[in-house]
Amino acid sequence: MSQSQQPKILILGTLSGGYAGADSTGQSHLDYPPNTYILPVMSPVMFPPEFYLRAFEHGMDGIIVMYSGTDSPYKVEADGTAKLINRAYQLMKERGMDIRRLRLAAICTVCVKPFLKEVNQMNDLLEGIGFVKDEIAAHASAIVTQEAAHG
Amino acid sequence: MPENQQPRIGVYICHCGGNISGAVQCESVAKALKGLPNVTITRTDESMCSDAGQSLIEKDIQELGINRVVVGACAPMLHEQTFRGAVTRAGLNPFLYHHVGLREQDSWVHGHDKTAATDKALRLMSAGVAKARLLQPLDPIRLGAEKHALVIGGGVAGLRAALDIARQGLRVTLIEKSPFLGGRMAQLETVFPTEEEARALLHDLIQKVTAHPNVTIFMGAEVMGVSGYVGNFTIQVKQHSRGVSDDNAEALMSACTQEVPDPFNYGLTKRKVIYRPYEGCYSSTPAVDWDHYDGRPFDVNGWPIELKDEPKSFELNVGAVVVATGFDPYTPPQGEYGFGELPQVVTLPQLIRHLALSKDGKSLQWNGRAVRDVALIHCVGSRQVDGVHQPQEDGQVNNYCSRVCCTASLHMTADLHKRYPELNIYDLHQDIRTYGRGHEEYYRHALEDGVRFLRYNGEEVPEVSPAPQGDSHPVLVKVKDMLTYGEEIEIPVDLVVLAVGFMPRDLHGLDKMLKISRGNDRFLLEVHPKLRPVETAVKGVILAGSAQGPMNIQESLSAASAAAAKVASLLGRGKVELPPFVAAVDVEKCNGTGACVEACVYEGAIALQTFNENGEEVKRAVITPANCVGCGACVAVCPNNAVNVQGWTLAQYEAMVEAIGMDLPAMTEVTA
Amino acid sequence: MDDLHMDALVIGGGIAGMQSALDLGDQGFQVALVERDPSIGGRMITLSKVFPTLDCCSCITTPKMSAVAHHPNIHLYTYCEIQSVQEHGAGFDVSILQKPRYVDISKCTGCRECEYECPITVPSPFDRNLGAYRAIRVPFSTAVPQKAVLDPEYCLWCGKCEQKCPVEAIDFSQQPETFTIEADSIIMATGFDLTPVSTKKEYGAGKLHNVIDPLMMERFLAPTGPYGRVLRPGDGKEPGSIAYVQCAGSRDETLGITYCSRVCCMYAIKQAMLLNGALPMADITIYYMDIRTFGKGYEQFYQNAKAMGVNFVRGKVASIREDADQNPILKVEMTDTGEIVEQTFDLVVLSQGIVPASHPTVSLPLGSDGFISVPAPDSAPCVTGRPGIFVTGTAAGPMDIVDSIVSASAAAAEASAYIRENGSRLEVEKEALYA
Repeated sequence: MSQSQQPKILILGTLSGGYAGADSTGQSHLDYPPNTYILPVMSPVMFPPEFYLRAFEHGMDGIIVMYSGTDSPYKVEADGTAKLINRAYQLMKERGMDIRRLRLAAICTVCVKPFLKEVNQMNDLLEGIGFVKDEIAAHASAIVTQEAAHG
Repeated sequence: MPENQQPRIGVYICHCGGNISGAVQCESVAKALKGLPNVTITRTDESMCSDAGQSLIEKDIQELGINRVVVGACAPMLHEQTFRGAVTRAGLNPFLYHHVGLREQDSWVHGHDKTAATDKALRLMSAGVAKARLLQPLDPIRLGAEKHALVIGGGVAGLRAALDIARQGLRVTLIEKSPFLGGRMAQLETVFPTEEEARALLHDLIQKVTAHPNVTIFMGAEVMGVSGYVGNFTIQVKQHSRGVSDDNAEALMSACTQEVPDPFNYGLTKRKVIYRPYEGCYSSTPAVDWDHYDGRPFDVNGWPIELKDEPKSFELNVGAVVVATGFDPYTPPQGEYGFGELPQVVTLPQLIRHLALSKDGKSLQWNGRAVRDVALIHCVGSRQVDGVHQPQEDGQVNNYCSRVCCTASLHMTADLHKRYPELNIYDLHQDIRTYGRGHEEYYRHALEDGVRFLRYNGEEVPEVSPAPQGDSHPVLVKVKDMLTYGEEIEIPVDLVVLAVGFMPRDLHGLDKMLKISRGNDRFLLEVHPKLRPVETAVKGVILAGSAQGPMNIQESLSAASAAAAKVASLLGRGKVELPPFVAAVDVEKCNGTGACVEACVYEGAIALQTFNENGEEVKRAVITPANCVGCGACVAVCPNNAVNVQGWTLAQYEAMVEAIGMDLPAMTEVTA
Repeated sequence: MDDLHMDALVIGGGIAGMQSALDLGDQGFQVALVERDPSIGGRMITLSKVFPTLDCCSCITTPKMSAVAHHPNIHLYTYCEIQSVQEHGAGFDVSILQKPRYVDISKCTGCRECEYECPITVPSPFDRNLGAYRAIRVPFSTAVPQKAVLDPEYCLWCGKCEQKCPVEAIDFSQQPETFTIEADSIIMATGFDLTPVSTKKEYGAGKLHNVIDPLMMERFLAPTGPYGRVLRPGDGKEPGSIAYVQCAGSRDETLGITYCSRVCCMYAIKQAMLLNGALPMADITIYYMDIRTFGKGYEQFYQNAKAMGVNFVRGKVASIREDADQNPILKVEMTDTGEIVEQTFDLVVLSQGIVPASHPTVSLPLGSDGFISVPAPDSAPCVTGRPGIFVTGTAAGPMDIVDSIVSASAAAAEASAYIRENGSRLEVEKEALYA
């Protein structure tokens, strides 16, 4: 089946954490859902909250930020990323989006099992809640309906 | 400059000798990508990293004017540098290259669904192309490098690494946590396969190290902090007082009455808290065991003398760090094979010390009795099985082989047989792994010497229990012996010897300070066992010896010399280059809000400076690249996206995400 | 050719020799790398995948080959034999024979037109003679250098290649040439051969149709292999059952090879795992005395193979014969039951061990095992009995790739210290090394 009909999961994996963890998973030849797209990042503390919103708009149905947490080589990564993600949650709520679509997880270079767990969990979630574009559309039409009712 | 022209992108997809092409239809992906804007050429190859594959890229750069290159292959960790090199040779800036991992993150994990794997490869490659369009040439940050290395650990690996670095004309500082050099090797008597005296070999090495003009040694010293990067590490060191001097040592030692179990003899004997571990140790000046000294004054000729540890702290500036922190022998938990419960159960390292302390006699004495029968059990703390063995504190079992214990055990049986020919020896093993040059001879001799070999299965380990009252022997060993077709055999013995394996050491935070990681086995992890077997993921931090995994002396020496070779390559020229992935400010966009400065936690990395712009004083952010680590905390907070990490810009990520989400016109055809 | 002066001369362009050369070159030393074959890469480049990571072998080897070829301080001499090594001060005069390629490598572009034109097919040693190539050819697809070589033993001198070559690189008049390199130090990285089984009558002395050596299996499994799949060499059928006979030529007093070859357990397990992927329906059995998976990550690799369903059977294979359909029949003494059983397989791999490769003309003391002697392994594991000459990799005894690579860097460290302490370079030049 073409992947265009599957929900898409964007993974932002740190070079010292999630991206290397995904490589470890590959070295172990362990299968996981293919609708996952991993981009290497130095540290996710560089992404402003709006970045995630735009990613959803581009059709990413779920995003997992796999950072290195407290093991990060960057001192600011653990706290800084959590703050940015929390602000992203606020923005998502305002737009009627299910905040479970965005997840922050600490994944180490050899965290094969946790990596698989995160990916499978997100995949299961998306099978349940569907495409983000439908959610955005539903919210937009709800606002239209509301405005119509008030208008 | 070709890089400033319109992007002309060359896209290359590697079959990886079937590793990628087994799951991804590489040709289809290449065909689909050909239609993308700015893509000038797409190619596939059996092995892009080969000389021929690299030449393809070089040729295209030169002949087709390709000015951005994207390769889809194995993990970037393995070959990104290789292709940056190829691009550079063809005259292009190395950072106009982008690497997409199609093997570890696609073909190896989605082999069951080739259509999906192909679709994923296409989207990832298309994202790579999107990033490539926005790549800019970058220059590495060039820094001076200290021609000075730090070696942590004064065992055989650390000593050898220090000597070999010194011999390459570089300065070395060696620090050792204990007050004496030599490490675990000093606790051995003879070494296999040459039967030379361990301490004689060691002292020859120590003599060479201490005599070398390039070497400085600090004993009783430990690392308290690490900052900086390759070429320019700053290391905080704390060195404890020795407590005594050559002048007062003998008087204080005779006055000292406090005794503690002697770790040199694995607790078999006691020693004073002012001590030398053994005669002929280095340094010969005794030291105070501060961890155990109770602080009470010593009575020297009627004068009470109280000793105090007055640690000195100092800083070292070094270009590279060699981690030679060694291993600990596995200590069985209370009750494993009767250890800690039955006095007749000892570990192999303990027996080595016991034999060294024993006077020659007709029979081996243990616990006040003559030993007639001894059982030696292999794989204690190694090759452990989940569910059979008690896990370590972190919940894991030691599922690795400790490599050294088989030969060490048979080296011991040879010694026992030589000294006590009447002794009956039972050897309980799973597999005999005497793999090394001259090791198999020990196995053969053991058979000739009459050592009785019994083989147990890993899931059914032998049982050690006290013999019933009145038995001729104090201990009973039960084993299901596969060499006699699974027969249950009971062996009454006087002594049980546990061939314990290697344990990774608790480094008390040193690994965290150096930002190096551990593998699944919890030993320190190399980048790649074949490509970079002694280097860590942190440039300039190099491994030597058994901190990396079980190794015998010969293997530790090789690893240490290899580490020295890497240090010499790194620091020999007195300068290093760092990747250019640091923040850069677009002054056109910056309006001096200072949010970036507030977000940055790195001293001196980013600051606001005042500029004169059209007669007006304005503030703009300025980066000091050597102090910036490229985390990007400044990027997220800039309201104008005026600051970006070079090579990893926000715009590049947005383009990649957009590309992943896009259904290419050719995609349906490819993945239908 | 002119006389040349080098800081170090490395004999053997396999993985160990390449790594030594790279480590010395990276430190700024001038290194000559001398290889007997027309391409560097050694044994490693012929392998399929490597344990315990299962990386594709060429992915690890070819970048090193490429780095050697492009290194400004490494001077590559392929298709060369060492003729003699004479002490010269603290260094050596090394006399080298350049064998004729009958191709001018300064002109050859590796386009392979000659190869396509050549009418003579000859068995390819790169493919363990399972496949064939032409009398003139680029040795293999990832060869370094990518230059053709002509095999005079098979060539009919028909001249078709000469006519076809677009750059006039074919030169039938080439003669062997001798030249001398002056080197301050030498590293022996001469590698290994498989233990010969021709004298092992119990195992068919190499005459049974479907009993193969492990390097043949590597070629079957390699993506660049001769058939692109695994088959029985006897009749081309796909094997449904495959057996490995461990310690075939190691730990065997009847052959005079009493040592353990260190790599056979791991390569057998690796091949079993790869076969499991290539032939999912096939039964794979490994007969062994002891499984010696001692390296980092190896024991876990072994346990994974067991979990995959590879049969590990403790037993001594007493003899092998074949039935009328050329199926090998193993007679096995089962350790766990004491029975003697006969079992028929479609294909048998003899897990042959490692013996020293035939040595070039460098006179060095050897150990009783025939490998280059290392008098003090527990203090100087790369130092031979002749000052200034160092040894690395399987030239110093059986070793796997990981251990060979570490040993190669160690040999480089020894050699560079020797060069610094004894070398004939002027002091100024030595300073310049690090300038």
